Amino acid sequence: MDADLIVVIVVATALAFDFTNGFHDTANVVATSISTRAMAPQLAVGYAAVLNFAGAFISLEVAATVAKDVVAVRAEPEFMIVVFGGLVGAIAWNLITWYFGLPSSSSHALIGGMVGAAFVADGAEAVMGDGVLGKVMVPALVAPTLAFVVGGLAILFMYRIVGRLRPGPVSSGFRAGQIVSGGLLAVAHGTNDAQKTMGVIALALVANGSIAGGDDLTIPDWVVVSAATAIALGTYAGGWRIIKTMGSRIHKMDAAQGFAAQGAGAAVILASSQVGFPLSTTHTISGAVIGSGAAKRLSAVRWGVAGNIVVAWILTLPAAAAIGGLTYGVTRVFGTGAAGPVIVSVLIVAASTVLFLRRAQRGPAVTAAEA
Amino acid sequence: MISPLAAVDWDALLQVVWVSLLTGIGVTAVFAVAIYGATRAVDLSRDGRAAEAGLFGAVSVVALLVVGGAVIFGIVAMTDK
Repeated sequence: MDADLIVVIVVATALAFDFTNGFHDTANVVATSISTRAMAPQLAVGYAAVLNFAGAFISLEVAATVAKDVVAVRAEPEFMIVVFGGLVGAIAWNLITWYFGLPSSSSHALIGGMVGAAFVADGAEAVMGDGVLGKVMVPALVAPTLAFVVGGLAILFMYRIVGRLRPGPVSSGFRAGQIVSGGLLAVAHGTNDAQKTMGVIALALVANGSIAGGDDLTIPDWVVVSAATAIALGTYAGGWRIIKTMGSRIHKMDAAQGFAAQGAGAAVILASSQVGFPLSTTHTISGAVIGSGAAKRLSAVRWGVAGNIVVAWILTLPAAAAIGGLTYGVTRVFGTGAAGPVIVSVLIVAASTVLFLRRAQRGPAVTAAEA
Repeated sequence: MISPLAAVDWDALLQVVWVSLLTGIGVTAVFAVAIYGATRAVDLSRDGRAAEAGLFGAVSVVALLVVGGAVIFGIVAMTDK
């Protein structure tokens, strides 16, 4: 009974994380299309939500990486508390960075939280160093850099091809192209990010003995559908907040740059998803946007934003790991039953509510990316 | 102690690099060719140069088909794995 209740709490927490992931990342997916007026805000948000949902069904390679290559799972109900601690670590770090307006990656927070909780629970041998380094950290460094290069080269080629034409039809053409490139970016986002939640839910199900782990791991259909739904709903919900702030904070770019950035971001994320690399989609899209800007004019790029991304990249994994480990420790104080997850869930909901209310009173934090 | 370099799946990483470069740059450049063809076709048509306009129009259509085909191929390749 206790184990079943813990599974329910862990799955609900994972889906809540997935929802906040969609909510948080809507801006990355739709901002470029709205900024260049390729799509009306309402349409862009709805379109992104639908394609995020569809993207979650494309591949399960990333889910398999999260479930098999990050932490050594124990097929014991107690391990669900490790998963719970990791999830809470990621959510808490996301909330803290959201409150202070710091750029951060939900994906890195999730991986960091899992690693921290597993380390505290089972020691260093529970952390699959090869997987974390080879499938998470190195790709996490390569992907934004690659997106920067691809975005930059793409815009250089494109300007070379259409540079001498009348700007009116060219802009119209690239705006039309952004309907496709923006759609691909939404699909890519849904593919990579929803799968991380699927992987975490799979970890809990393996621990509970509901499904087989290791090479026999199969992600149940209900996990895929629920993760896809949560990220799509989060994207849609987040979009309305983005719409309200559009026009004043989003960096202006021309339609060709928007098309290049979206195309580059989608290419890198989809290629990485295909081989099972769980990336920070936020950092990858940012890399493509910065690349398409830098290729046109170096001074057009807000290099402070790039610096903040690097700092966030360095900070997020250890910070989320520390919170994940701490959460596991606190939860275990209440034993291995459902009491710990229930109490910690109540605490995190209460803390979230306080943070939301305080932020609402003070107004949204202005990040370096927005300033 | 395993070397950090040995932990990296270099084949997969190189695949990501070349696929991203090829599709990210290739597809966007071909789409730019489609726009070039369409814009030139309209301009030439206005000048009464129908044959040249038709040629550029055909280039535009072929480029759009290549872009559409590449997108569909990419999605099918991912779902087939």
